[in-house]
Formats: sequence, structure tokens, C-alpha cells
Amino acid sequence: MTQFFLILGVGMCALVLLCLYRATYGPTVLNRAAGISAIGTKTLIILLLMGVIYHRIDMFIDISMVYALLNFIGCLVLAKYLERTGEV
Amino acid sequence: MTRDSHDVIVKTLARLLMPFIVVYALYVVMHGHYSPGGGFQGGVILAAGFVLLVITHGLEKTRKRMSEKIAGVISSIGVLIYGGIGVLCVILGGNYLDYGKLSKILLVTPAEARSLGILGIEIGVALAVMAVMCTVFFAIYTVGESPEDERSVK
Repeated sequence: MTQFFLILGVGMCALVLLCLYRATYGPTVLNRAAGISAIGTKTLIILLLMGVIYHRIDMFIDISMVYALLNFIGCLVLAKYLERTGEV
Repeated sequence: MTRDSHDVIVKTLARLLMPFIVVYALYVVMHGHYSPGGGFQGGVILAAGFVLLVITHGLEKTRKRMSEKIAGVISSIGVLIYGGIGVLCVILGGNYLDYGKLSKILLVTPAEARSLGILGIEIGVALAVMAVMCTVFFAIYTVGESPEDERSVK
């Protein structure tokens, strides 16, 4: 079973690389924002998979919830900043 | 500046999310000695709630609930709780922050007094961190505002 979750985690890391490409070379700033937000979501899942692998899911679920919250707020701050500077 | 925004989705989401953020922050503070977290992290999550309020509902509405003056008072109260518990332990004949001595006034066993003492310390730390984070965020957020916002700061 651990093998299964390990493979899932490696697949998630591959997806993070794809999102990282979009965040780096995105044509517009909105593509970059979406890429960063998607990386945050995948990091959350990777954290949970790590919790399952290390048998400490109760600890990692706390961390992942805070991560999701801060990811959401960070995305909003980014959007607000872009609105203010008039880049969009 | 902040033009009059009609972002209904974000505002509603923030309103729905705010109570859960506060409850989660309290959970992180209370369970600091069992799970990751503690006073500092709980305070940061509380401050993140205020950041969310500022971003979605504007600075003025948030200032009505948490102004710089109130934030200063709350941070002082947090430090007072921390230092007060520490000094109380000294008065009761122990070292600084020696929670076991609190059993004399809390009327519980020393082990329970230690748990309660750490909880009190974490509440103090959470209050101080929340207020200071809010102050820092307000200070950063108001820089570069238009003159009318500048006036309302003073």
C-alpha cells in the first residue's frame, strides 16, 4: 500500500513540474497566478500522501489545512495586488 | 484607491470562511502540545483571517473591528499574560515559568497545573502574535495609498 502512495506522490511531483512550467513561462501574469495556485493545491495532496506514508496523518492534516488556507489568502493578495497595479 | 468592487463571490466566501479560520486558529492554540502548532502559529492563522478581511472588505471596515490602537493594546495584554504567569510562578516560590507551582492557586495536581500553565502561555503568545501581525500588515498595506486614505490613518 505504501508503494501505491509513493507512486501517487511521484506522479503529483511530475504534475507540479508541469504547473511550474506554466508559472515560469506563462504568457500573461494571470497564467502565472493560476500556475502558482495549482502548485499550492498539489502540494497539499503531497503533504497528505506523506502523512499516510509516515503513518502520521493526524499531524499532516493540520499542516495541510493551514497550507490550503494560506494558499487561498496568498492567491487573493496576489489578485488584489495585480488589480491595484493595473497589470490586468 | 480601491475602486468600488462588486466581487460578490470573494466577499461571500470570506464571510463564510472567517468563523472556520477563527475556530481552527483556536484549535491550533489549544492543541499546541499534542500536534504541530502552538501560540505563534495560532496567532498567525488569526492574523491571516484579518488579512482576508482587509483584502475582501476593505481597510476601513476592518479598522472598525481591529484598529491599530486596539492591536497595540491586545499585544500588550498578550505579553502581560506571558510575563504575568512567569512572575506568578516566581512569587509562588519556583523558577520563572515553573508552571508546577501554579497548583497552589489553581487547586489541581502539579501535572495538571503544568498543562494549564502552558495553555495560558500559549494564549498570551497567540494574542501578542495576532496583534503584532495585524499591525505589521496594516503598516505595509497603507503605504502607497492615495492621500485620502493617508488622512484617515492619522
